[in-house]
Amino acid sequence: MNEDKKLNGRDLINIGIYGAIYFVILFAVAMLGMIPIFLPLLSVFVPILGGIPFMLFLTRVKNPGMIFVFAMIMGILMLLTGMGPWPLLTCAAAGLLAELVLKSGDYRDAKKAVLSYGLFSMWIFGNYLPLFTDYEGYFAQRADYGQAYIDAVQKLMPLWMAPVLLIACFVCGIIGGLLGRALLKKHFEKAGLV
Amino acid sequence: MEYSSKQSQEKRRGFIDPRTKLALILILALFVMGGLGGEQMQPLKMILSALPFALLLAEKQWTRFFRGVCILVCGYALLWIMPYLPAVLSYFALFCGGILTRFVVTIMMGEYVIATTSVSEFISAMEKLCMPQQVTIPLSVMFRLFPTIGAEWKSIRRAMRMRGIHLGGAKAGQVVEYQMVPMMTSSVRIGEELSASALTRGLGAPVKRTNICRIGFRAQDYLMLVGCLFVVCAWILEMCGVRLW
Repeated sequence: MNEDKKLNGRDLINIGIYGAIYFVILFAVAMLGMIPIFLPLLSVFVPILGGIPFMLFLTRVKNPGMIFVFAMIMGILMLLTGMGPWPLLTCAAAGLLAELVLKSGDYRDAKKAVLSYGLFSMWIFGNYLPLFTDYEGYFAQRADYGQAYIDAVQKLMPLWMAPVLLIACFVCGIIGGLLGRALLKKHFEKAGLV
Repeated sequence: MEYSSKQSQEKRRGFIDPRTKLALILILALFVMGGLGGEQMQPLKMILSALPFALLLAEKQWTRFFRGVCILVCGYALLWIMPYLPAVLSYFALFCGGILTRFVVTIMMGEYVIATTSVSEFISAMEKLCMPQQVTIPLSVMFRLFPTIGAEWKSIRRAMRMRGIHLGGAKAGQVVEYQMVPMMTSSVRIGEELSASALTRGLGAPVKRTNICRIGFRAQDYLMLVGCLFVVCAWILEMCGVRLW
């Protein structure tokens, strides 16, 4: 049994499959973020829609480390798509928390799976971090977007939004997890994928 | 398929090494997309932005090259006509132009890398970089799957449009459920077949895999890597307050 408890090739391939689906959804939604009003709303849409592939992914998680690796892969991809190094840090933290919660339920507990996705979703906050840690610099870099864009974003994203966004990620993660579970029951079990 | 012959491997070999591609992506992501660096970096950024197009030409990826140029021209045209448009439309033009001109470089680079790097080339490059399997395998599976998922999603969207399920259609509310569920179902199925085939070929096995594809640095790789190093040095110097030009 000891042999089975380690990450094996199949687990890693599963991470790749579900990671790809998650990332495609994330990328499609994130394109909306160019419109100012959608920028804070990303922390609502991404966790809710991403919940569907992630809950499906959790049904494949049996060995410790899978969620952490999944989170780190997301961090690396964010680095490669130009979100800077911050998401790597939040991914490590959120992935670890999510992993621990799911592990406490022995990777079977459905309620803890939803909670775990909520915690995992908090990594999305890392994409906002450059905005909040260097408020002036962030807008100076985006000067070529035009003053109208900067004004709109500054109005939407005052500094006190930072904790709000973090909590929004978590809450919407829970909602996304529940939605994912509902869809799992409705469709994927029928299709024999669970 | 005559992959096994040494000559055809040499023919299939890309213009630059996968590791160089990775370095270039990172530099582009940090400086062009992420917007690191200030005034002094502007000329360097222009050169960097032209790089994916040059590489696409070097690899004879004509369709991709022209698509990229079209996107870029559209973006700049939108930005250019923006001041002459009425208020609401100009706002819209600004965003579309901003999206197109800003994202096109990275999208082109991504397209270039995905189109010209085979999975085995990618894996052997990652192994040479001493990356752990936990990173290599998921990433290579993902790069293999992105185009597949894109194609699946496109055809599912087309099928659902026929039933009136699309954004702006009569049943817009069902879009999420009726597009994403089939997309995921088919992607997972494809992924499972892929995983079976990959496991058969020894991916994730405890022994060291051998690889037939040839990778290695050549003159153009060294040139690009020196270029990357130069960009980073220029950035560090700028941070220290040295005026370069």
